Amino acid sequence: MGVETRADTPPAPQRRRRPRLDLTTPTLLGPPLAWLAVFFVVPIAIVGAYSVNALSFDPGPHAVTLSAWHSFLHSSIYLKLFWKSVQMSLLVSTAVVLLAYPLAYFLALSGTKRKYVLLLLLIAPFLTSYLLRVLAWKVILGNEGVINSFLVWTGLRSPDHPLSQLLYSRFAVMLVLGYIWLPFVALPIFVTLESLDRRLFEAATDLGASRWQTFRRVTLPLSLPGVVAAFLFVFIPTLGEFVTPSLVGGASGYMYGNQIVDLFGTGFPDWQTGSVLALFLLGVVALLTIVFSRFLNSREVTAA
Amino acid sequence: MNVALSRRGAWLLRSFFAVVVVFLYAPIAILVVFSFNDSALPSFPLSGFTLHWYHQFLVNADLRSALETSALVAAISSIGAVLLGVLASIALVRRSFRLKSPVSALLLSPLVIPYVVFGISLLLFFHAVGIPRSVLTVVIGHIVISLPYTVLVLMPRLQQIDVSLDEAAYDLGASRLRAFRSVTLPLLLPAVVSAYLIAFTTSFDEYAVASFVVGTRSTFPIFLYSALRFPNQLPQVIAVAVVVIAVSLVVVIGAEVGRRMVERRLT
Repeated sequence: MGVETRADTPPAPQRRRRPRLDLTTPTLLGPPLAWLAVFFVVPIAIVGAYSVNALSFDPGPHAVTLSAWHSFLHSSIYLKLFWKSVQMSLLVSTAVVLLAYPLAYFLALSGTKRKYVLLLLLIAPFLTSYLLRVLAWKVILGNEGVINSFLVWTGLRSPDHPLSQLLYSRFAVMLVLGYIWLPFVALPIFVTLESLDRRLFEAATDLGASRWQTFRRVTLPLSLPGVVAAFLFVFIPTLGEFVTPSLVGGASGYMYGNQIVDLFGTGFPDWQTGSVLALFLLGVVALLTIVFSRFLNSREVTAA
Repeated sequence: MNVALSRRGAWLLRSFFAVVVVFLYAPIAILVVFSFNDSALPSFPLSGFTLHWYHQFLVNADLRSALETSALVAAISSIGAVLLGVLASIALVRRSFRLKSPVSALLLSPLVIPYVVFGISLLLFFHAVGIPRSVLTVVIGHIVISLPYTVLVLMPRLQQIDVSLDEAAYDLGASRLRAFRSVTLPLLLPAVVSAYLIAFTTSFDEYAVASFVVGTRSTFPIFLYSALRFPNQLPQVIAVAVVVIAVSLVVVIGAEVGRRMVERRLT
């Protein structure tokens, strides 16, 4: 139809002329991919080069060697520290997902009219400054902080014996990380539960299932992809965390990420070992992401 | 009857929800209370009302310059991230090409890279290439971090916009660029604004990567982090915290409400 009318009218040459810049696929993909190649992929490759001593902090000749990798894989210190960080992140992510599930369930399935307002209420703290939320806990947990001064003020505790293990401990790191990630984790679970077909619940009820049975046999298995995604969204960033432990962790809250930072710090820099530690962390995270995204894809859910 | 929840269950969950919301907001509320407390130490008992800390941070030149630097970095890096994000999302949604899934995986991969790893990667890269650390290097890093967020915001909106609108524009003789400018872009604008805001707040708040590539001009999070190590600055920092949290809450909620209103009008 459009072609016929166009044939009748004389062609307008100015309009027909194709501009040189056109939105073809290479024009579209070129800039973002080039940016990521130069400032994302190449830098990681450079870390790889440092880890095998192909590039080095020290000037002068240096031979390619796998020695840093070898000593890392045989060192008890670094691997123990990594395992400690894994345990801390696992604990935080599990706790946070367990807390967030009922919240998401309530928002998605209780039939409340204000669910999006409540969801925003829940998520809003996540969108405020990260460092400032850590600051809040520093103020609360310190030896002369809100909790201790409150206990002293009310006479529950003598000023000579504050609860000193509150701040600068493994507990403080996990509490703060949990606090920071809790609002965000509810989101993927909510999205999955929200998208479930309500008729499934009715069918289960019609077949004589109790609410608990319906939850255990229908709702929970179907919402599993959201749960896994939520778990991963916390586990991955907390595993490499170094900011929160350096502010509230002290010596016992020291994590793998802090070790990486210190190897690049001003004290005793060892870029080669640091690069090995960084790449190892990256490898673990990449592996987890690939395995779980396969799992999520196989469930045909795009809960991200 | 609600088949998912009994009345008692709903009541229990509602109470639990309320407890969690209190837990989430209590630390923020405590910051607000102590920002007005007339004592150099944030501790009980409260010792009187003061605006001293707010006044002090208003006249703190270091803090003001850090805020300005962060605003600059955030403004520039989010323009970059949105531009790249728009290009990438059009390609992913509207075009078919080979290797689409690895390409989209690459575009989203900055979401999952540990920031400590990306930070040192950039540090080593700039060191190897010989680029001195500065505001520019922070901008470069922040564009990489924000890019996947902009793609995630833009793609769903693009999927909603009917392709036949563009095809109609082609039939009327428009080039692809012209069709994009006059048809797609206006419809995409609300999502572009949200993407910009998300990229802006991400950059404004970003400490981990910036800590590796920042030069002599501190950004706001870098300033905050170093101030957290000096207890005598604490009350001032708390006052700043209250202002920043208030502003970001207003922006976030305002942006969300605004986006919903505009999108409802457009669809």
